[in-house]
Amino acid sequence: MVLTHNKSKKIFTLSSSLLSPDSIKKIIFEEEIPLRRRSFPPETVDTVLRYGEIVGSSIKHSSHIVRGMDEARRLIHDAEEKELAFHSGTVILADEMAESKGRFKRPWHAPKGGLWLTLILVNTLLPESSLLVPMAAGVACCEVLRNLGIAAHIKWVNDVHVDGKKICGILTEAFTGSRHREEYILVGIGMNVNNDSFPTELSGLATSVKACLNKESSLAEIAAQLLVKLRWNIGLLHFEEAQNLEEHGGVARRNSPVAATLPDHEPLLLKSYKSLTDIFNRRVIFGFDVQKTPQFEAKVMGLDNMGGLILELDDSSLITQYSGEIIYL
Amino acid sequence: MYDDINFDEIINKYRSDPFDYLDMLTPHTGRVTFKVSEGEEVAGPSGKWHHHPGTLLYIINRENNPKPINSATNGVVASLREELEGQFVKAGEKLMTIKHPLKKREIIESILQNVLYLFRAPEKAKYFFSLDIQARIEKQGEKAVFIKPGEEILTMSLMKRDTPIYYTGEEGIIHSVYFKPGESINQGDPLIGVCAKEKLPLIQKIITHVKAEWS
Repeated sequence: MVLTHNKSKKIFTLSSSLLSPDSIKKIIFEEEIPLRRRSFPPETVDTVLRYGEIVGSSIKHSSHIVRGMDEARRLIHDAEEKELAFHSGTVILADEMAESKGRFKRPWHAPKGGLWLTLILVNTLLPESSLLVPMAAGVACCEVLRNLGIAAHIKWVNDVHVDGKKICGILTEAFTGSRHREEYILVGIGMNVNNDSFPTELSGLATSVKACLNKESSLAEIAAQLLVKLRWNIGLLHFEEAQNLEEHGGVARRNSPVAATLPDHEPLLLKSYKSLTDIFNRRVIFGFDVQKTPQFEAKVMGLDNMGGLILELDDSSLITQYSGEIIYL
Repeated sequence: MYDDINFDEIINKYRSDPFDYLDMLTPHTGRVTFKVSEGEEVAGPSGKWHHHPGTLLYIINRENNPKPINSATNGVVASLREELEGQFVKAGEKLMTIKHPLKKREIIESILQNVLYLFRAPEKAKYFFSLDIQARIEKQGEKAVFIKPGEEILTMSLMKRDTPIYYTGEEGIIHSVYFKPGESINQGDPLIGVCAKEKLPLIQKIITHVKAEWS
């Protein structure tokens, strides 16, 4: 089943609830715009949301798929084979996934009751902006959970936790179309909503919206909320990139000999991120694949303006990491 | 190129001058303040994660934005352009040369990097072999895996985004691997060195020759 804004007013069932383009618009006008206008001028809010409008421009729902990322690649491949332009912002929703995977091919438990979403973006951002897409997804998820009254926090890079238990995981992969060499960013989001039974190996490590609120929630409503938050946060990256380009005469900062030497400012997205994370001053174990190969212990001192994690080692020296994972001690 | 290798000439070159000369060029315009003098010994980055910067060589200041420039390797400061002290210089201006003493391993690498096809890092990031290549390395062993252009050989990991990297060089065997999983590789640094299958014995001959000749 496919829904697009301009084609269909049909609604589809997502685990017995409803999600429609109109419900997304309703949230934007009744909740998102008033909320953002508290911090930004009205014209900025409108511009950001216009940039983010692509998110959910096409929504595909299946009761069962094997893997969201594979499904995304298949859709891209099919569109390219038919010489069709792919809808950037296409969202794939599944009631359950049979063989979903996390990073390093770790198994990800995706039964019915959870929100399993894959967002496909045509990568039109500059490298310095697209670097922040995984963080934008983390911020969006955390904002949805906070909106539900759950005290969620982001753990670098973009896992979302509640009291140390993972409630939401995000996987981001780049993919290059075989026919036209177009680059896509695939963002896989798994949020435990009404699924509160986890495999033994995740016992004590995972939680769900249901467990936090002691009640079931509408999957469709949470899905709509998430799409709106993704629109804002992805839109923010585009908005700020456009601002920076304008400031530097249409040249990307890192390609501008002058701009590259100037002190950079903190991206708007990182300001949101910092307000939602609990990493600062935490003692952590860092590793590229921290579960398999922990590398060192350190204290989190901050984030640089590219989202890099600034760590203080035991000899008081600082090291900044742009890839890897942490475990809280 | 491979057939033209004159071992004696190469060995003699490194015997008579076993150094590498790294020119330090300004990354951008700015006013320069030197922090070392000619003949001074300098150190490269240290620490298990190379997180301690090397010796501070100079500071370049543009619009009240001072940028410290540290040595990327150990050696001795040579050809220091003292006349530029306190001057405003252009981007790409040579300020000094670091004379770096080469070790046997570096000499071998230096020769090999001239004869191998080097596939370089597209971004500063962490890299690991694609599952297929890793499985082939485990099955076939090192210096045995054949790759062709267009093949997905690596995954680039940056801010928890994994990007497949497709090989774009000459087809051949992965001879040298210049990265370790979990370590950041700078943009432009070599990731792997590839050689044509039939040239493998010659490459091995270079290594053996240098090892034997170089005390």
